[in-house]
Amino acid sequence: MKPLLFALRREPEQRLDLSKLTPDRLVGRTVKEIEAIEIGTTKVEARVGEIFKVRSGDPANLHFEGGSERFDLLGAKLLPGFSIYVEGDVGAQLGRNALGGRITVAGDAGPYAASGMSGGHIDIDGDCGDFLGAPLPGEIAGMAGGRIVVRGGVGQRAGDRLRRGIILIEGDAGPDLGSRAIAGTIIALGAVEGRVGYLNKRASLILAQAVDFGPTYVDCGAHNFAFARLFSRALVEDSRRAARLLSQKLRRYAGDTAVYGKGEILTPA
Amino acid sequence: MSNATLDGAPIALEDAYQHAARILACAKFPVVAGLGSDAAGVRAAILLAERLRGAYDHLACDDIFADLDVTRSFGMFVTTPNEARVRSDVVLLIGPGLTQHWPALFERLALDRPAYFNKDAPRKLIWLGPKRNEAKIEGIDIETLAATPQNLPFVLGALRARVGGRPINLDGATAKKVESCAQALKAARFGAVVWAAAALDGLTVEMLQGLVTELNATTRFTGTPIGARSGASGAVQVSGWMTGFPPRTGFGRGYPEHDPWRFDARRLVDSGEADAALWISAYDGEAPSWTREDLPLITLAPKGAGAKRGLYIEVGRPGETHDAVELAQETSSFVLRRATAPADTPSVADVIREIGARFSEDVPC
Repeated sequence: MKPLLFALRREPEQRLDLSKLTPDRLVGRTVKEIEAIEIGTTKVEARVGEIFKVRSGDPANLHFEGGSERFDLLGAKLLPGFSIYVEGDVGAQLGRNALGGRITVAGDAGPYAASGMSGGHIDIDGDCGDFLGAPLPGEIAGMAGGRIVVRGGVGQRAGDRLRRGIILIEGDAGPDLGSRAIAGTIIALGAVEGRVGYLNKRASLILAQAVDFGPTYVDCGAHNFAFARLFSRALVEDSRRAARLLSQKLRRYAGDTAVYGKGEILTPA
Repeated sequence: MSNATLDGAPIALEDAYQHAARILACAKFPVVAGLGSDAAGVRAAILLAERLRGAYDHLACDDIFADLDVTRSFGMFVTTPNEARVRSDVVLLIGPGLTQHWPALFERLALDRPAYFNKDAPRKLIWLGPKRNEAKIEGIDIETLAATPQNLPFVLGALRARVGGRPINLDGATAKKVESCAQALKAARFGAVVWAAAALDGLTVEMLQGLVTELNATTRFTGTPIGARSGASGAVQVSGWMTGFPPRTGFGRGYPEHDPWRFDARRLVDSGEADAALWISAYDGEAPSWTREDLPLITLAPKGAGAKRGLYIEVGRPGETHDAVELAQETSSFVLRRATAPADTPSVADVIREIGARFSEDVPC
């Protein structure tokens, strides 16, 4: 069965809250019912039918034809077994609190992508904004599981307060990658800048390019890590370059010793 | 009497109020920005934003969140300046420009004298990352730990690591200096750190508060933050009791939603999501930081800060032309400031009341 299709009519005038358009909330609804759903965020009304041309199909697989930087909360609270494909850009909080499923974005994503995600797989073809996988302001912990792969670059503080899960960045990372990370894994294949792994508690950062990590990362020497090789095999499907990086001999820096010193940064030896 | 101009040309005050009401009431998503005012002005501005179903933002929000994000996602030890003054035997000053952010700092904390409850020993002062010659003050002995604004977060991290007895990747004189400072902090009976949110970012403040937390395992240590400019600390309090959230809150859907990214006034204006703006900067007539020029704009600012573009209505300075309630840095509480040079220029609250009386949500524009 073909996916349920949302074809964008024109660039929306206001930010849209697309959290109401996840598969589990559309099951059993007719096209007419879907078109009547209110998704605006200002006093001006914006219904699905005004923004999208909806074509019926399998609601377990959503397809957005055309995206916008104003598509907020796309795939929020997504459940296992469902998938969303976006042919274009998305706005803030992509896959917010997602519990499972798969989201593919053939474009750029805004800030706070995968925020609070605890399962699922997000693939972003383009660049990603600030605070990838980070908690929203006022929340304690960030992403708690699942996997996110960004083919382009990311903004500042990606992996902030990361708790579990894998963040894989093929492009360059903005300032303060892995800040306040609690646990989990961040892999960056491009350049990194600023305070890398600042306030990192127990997370592993694997970087293709080393920079000065500051006085609170202590060099532990170069090693052949058995687990890194095993992990490398699990990454082949998502990124061959990441898999290659992890199969090498790696130099380990333990830190951030300002916190516990139980985290690490690994770079090619 | 007040002055008003439209694109630089004088306009009658009544016409200005009418015009402002029309601009705001007809907007789909207006933003009330700047918010540089006393408690009454901020309160009026937030009520207006709610009526308009727009958003509001304070001009110093980036500085506000350096402290607030740590408070709400990590926790924070703070005390009033008076408590620090009478009790602290060790004071750790952090970052450059502290006396610019709070000129009365040394005087209010009586840093040149021993603490009232610790009269026998002189106060020990350590300054991490002062500007050149900033820590050379006659009659006060200050130990400095050099750091540029770029490496200050790292030196602070190293200091925290040493306080906790964990290894650092430093050697030579710097390592020795960090070590001696760490020992001095641990030896404190009641320590206080002083920092200005405007000079640090959230991660650095979190590192600092982590250091304070660790010190509290064996002694007492707390913080004295220096609030951001233009009545920012007061605006946060007012916003909190009115909506439950700090600034960068929107009423687009009829109820308050807080999102520091979405309701950042500069982003709202430059992205075209906001289609009108009321800019308030009653303390010092600061200009908005957005770059878009074609936005319908109303500026409330004191004399001399006349906006060349859009509508400008002159307002009085809080505490100068009219009595004002604001959060005082020196006591960490709301105080009434009597007007120092009373004048009949309207306050921000007065102007917003006048504008608000000239439109109705029930009548379409």
